[in-house]
Amino acid sequence: MLRRLASCVVLITVLWPGHAKAQRIGIAIEQRLAEASGLAVGDTLSVASPNGGPRRPAVVAAIIEPRADPATILRKEYRVRFHLADLAELLGQPDRIDRAAILLQPGVDPDSARALLDRTAFGYELHGTAALAASSSTTFLVVSRFHRAIAIISVLASAIFLLCLMLLKVDARRQDVAMLRFIGISRRTVFIALLLEAGVIAAVGGVLGIGIAALTSAAVNAFYQQTFATTLIFSLLTWRTIVEAALLGLVLGLGAGALAAWRLVRLPPLVLWGRAG
Amino acid sequence: MTIVLDARDLERRHALEGSEVTALRGVSLQVEEGEYVAIVGPSGSGKSTLLTLLGGLDLPSSGSVAILGASLSALPDRALTRLRLERIGFVFQRFHLLPVLTARENVELPMAEMGVAPDARRARAAELLAYVGLADRSGHRPTQLSGGEMQRVAIARALANRPAILLADEPTGELDAATGREILALFRRLHADGTTLVVVTHDERVTSEASRVVRMLDGRIVD
Amino acid sequence: MMTWRWAIRDLLRHPTRSALSLLGVAVAAALLLDMVMLSGGIERSFGELLRSRGYQLRISPLGTLPFDTEATLGDVTALTVALRRDPAVREVAPVLGSTMQGAHGAIAASLVTYGVTPTSQGIYTLESGRDLTATDTVGILLSVPAATRLGAAVGDTVSLRGRLDPQMANAGAERRVLVRGIVRFLYDAREQPSVAVALAAAQRLGGPDLTDRASVLMVRIDEASDLTAVTARLRAAHADVAVNSIDDLVAQFRLRLTYFRQLSLILGSISLVVTVLLVGTLLAITVNERSGEIATLRAIGVARMNIARQVLVQGLLLSVLGGAAGMVLGLGTARWLDAILTSFPGLPAAISFFVAEPAPLAIAAATLLLTGVLAGLPSAWRAASTPIAAALRSDAP
Ligand SMILES: Nc1ncnc2c1ncn2[C@@H]1O[C@H](COP(=O)(O)OP(=O)(O)OP(=O)(O)O)[C@@H](O)[C@H]1O
Ligand SMILES: [Mg+2]
Repeated sequence: MLRRLASCVVLITVLWPGHAKAQRIGIAIEQRLAEASGLAVGDTLSVASPNGGPRRPAVVAAIIEPRADPATILRKEYRVRFHLADLAELLGQPDRIDRAAILLQPGVDPDSARALLDRTAFGYELHGTAALAASSSTTFLVVSRFHRAIAIISVLASAIFLLCLMLLKVDARRQDVAMLRFIGISRRTVFIALLLEAGVIAAVGGVLGIGIAALTSAAVNAFYQQTFATTLIFSLLTWRTIVEAALLGLVLGLGAGALAAWRLVRLPPLVLWGRAG
Repeated sequence: MTIVLDARDLERRHALEGSEVTALRGVSLQVEEGEYVAIVGPSGSGKSTLLTLLGGLDLPSSGSVAILGASLSALPDRALTRLRLERIGFVFQRFHLLPVLTARENVELPMAEMGVAPDARRARAAELLAYVGLADRSGHRPTQLSGGEMQRVAIARALANRPAILLADEPTGELDAATGREILALFRRLHADGTTLVVVTHDERVTSEASRVVRMLDGRIVD
Repeated sequence: MMTWRWAIRDLLRHPTRSALSLLGVAVAAALLLDMVMLSGGIERSFGELLRSRGYQLRISPLGTLPFDTEATLGDVTALTVALRRDPAVREVAPVLGSTMQGAHGAIAASLVTYGVTPTSQGIYTLESGRDLTATDTVGILLSVPAATRLGAAVGDTVSLRGRLDPQMANAGAERRVLVRGIVRFLYDAREQPSVAVALAAAQRLGGPDLTDRASVLMVRIDEASDLTAVTARLRAAHADVAVNSIDDLVAQFRLRLTYFRQLSLILGSISLVVTVLLVGTLLAITVNERSGEIATLRAIGVARMNIARQVLVQGLLLSVLGGAAGMVLGLGTARWLDAILTSFPGLPAAISFFVAEPAPLAIAAATLLLTGVLAGLPSAWRAASTPIAAALRSDAP
């Protein structure tokens, strides 16, 4: 199971307003939760730890929109923020925390500070921000490695596809090529003509492809942003990607065209003519 | 004598971007069993058009064709195809053999379509290739054969299902004089063996051998 | 008609062209296969993993999935007794997961600790040494990565230290324990250093917070009883905990894998489109080139059906051969892609994303063949309706 960092799960039930005699604590709830439960600022509810312990009234003091984080979009849980002391008390673990962030004095080397703290105190682990960021983004590294692998397969498939189509297209020109060669047009000229044709096809196809990519990318973003109720961008079409894809398509198209054209012009015109009959 | 082929008042018009070309303007022709009919005439006079109509490859704009009493225009495509397979043999100017099949397989093809058992059709193909003088070339592909040899394979193929009539469109048109003579000798032999033949040709030699010569001009038969 | 012979020889007439189309179909088929394997693979492999030891239900703190958070269940002894009272319940296996500090000589390592009742547990299988006995409170079992990291072997003495208490600046309880065996933990991630100890020992090491607590109870019910009915009954009787059947858990897991299912659907469809385009184009061009041949065949009396069949057979040949090559290629790429995806942090090593199951594979193969035939339909239709006289007339010399 995807084990995650400690997070407190809090049971939330709406409490009758008149019930709230005990001292109320203030909490902030996530926008999604507000929408799903119909809670608004000022509403009172009761909160308790699933591990048992006291049940306390809480009033919604704020509704927050957590920063869009790709690591959490698949989570269905709702987020609620407490004052630290309130939560610790609710959980029956006063004066206890899961983690703390430490801001060092300017100029202090994080690594040496970490080593020093590791030596002098006991009972916790220290992580540098960079290392934490690296370990928490592993999931995305894996996903992007997977995407790259899929991309390699797709490029391979489309290269073969392109080569195949070019071959078929140029092959269909067999008679024309034979004709041109009969009337004395040079191999070179015929080759260049075929290559130009391939280039034009690849270029037009590339432009169409970029258009389709832009449309599908917009559709993908719209769909997932809607599904996960987030502002995260899922499919990013950059100019760099566009240029790379267009160039790759053109190079593949020209390569395939050249290969197919060479296969044709290399043959004597009589063979070209005869084979078609 | 049985009338094998009975064509009446055939007309064939082709619609061409607005205008209309009339290839045949009322042609009637009867062919009796065992006859050797030669159709001659200048280029564009409608000989090939007539032959395609006689063989059921195309349907006339008006008029009718009957083979052994069966009217072609009344037949659905499936029956017409079957009739071509069983009753009609075609020989074309450009041979039209299947390049991926060997000589023997080309001859077997119409029999396979008829559902003849492999052994039987193999034996018959060998017999026919021997008849046209190609017993030793049965395993060769068309590209490995000369024009005359290809035409003889095509004739063997046309005879495979013992057709009631053999239609040939300029069978010597692509061949040199000597090879053309060999093909004509083959037709003479077929005629002697009782095959009904209709041959379209520019070749004046055919006219001397045929039992009847039909002359065409401008889409009509002239006598 | 000698359909097959003709179709095969005709494809061999243009070897480069046919080979390239085959290769294209093969890559598309490989992608399709991979996507079919991906679409249900992880769910299936997750379900299998959950089912592997025969416990059909999991009980975890309300609102959580097993081992998904650090929340624990309280009063486990009472809960276990209550559960056992249900006539369908055969066995209840509590598991307490926590983190401990292990030391062997000078080597120390942080270990994932499972507190179990050795006589009924469903989370590990013994690899070497021997299992814990019911009364064994000083024995432990190590996973291979834990043994490697600590440099410990069966028979060695190791010390375990429970929850660290910064306020006290001490490490809570410490115990000297004996390595009894090396085990494979079913739900461990690759290279995860884990240790199993008796539940009571794990609770004691965890300090007062973990007294009589467990993370998950695995429940085995009578094979003959109705799982849905038992689940509903237990849910009603124990409203303060989450009772999940394996199917429930798989369904929850499924939600998190929407992305992969959508991706596999999209890429699978794209590969089918590529197949259609490749086979379709090739056949269209072949039929075009051969219109003279086709007209000849029609002239000598070959039926329309047989002409169409020949074209369809070519499409079928391309997709069968390309598909066969694609299966081989696909199994290879599936391994590669699986190796990438299974490196997700924290994922149980026993889970695969790409699982080759006969039924989906058969469906993929059938879809591919059908696609090949469908792609040939327009060309087959065109071939069958070739106008004989016109095609013969215009056939090139
Ligand atoms: N499909 C068609 N479309 C338009 N015109 C056609 C078509 N088929 C035949 N024709 C015309 O019909 C006329 C007769 O043609 P046909 O091929 O029958 O002549 P032919 O006597 O066989 O000539 P040749 O001796 O040159 O073979 C010609 O003028 C030709 O252009
Ligand atoms: Mg003619």
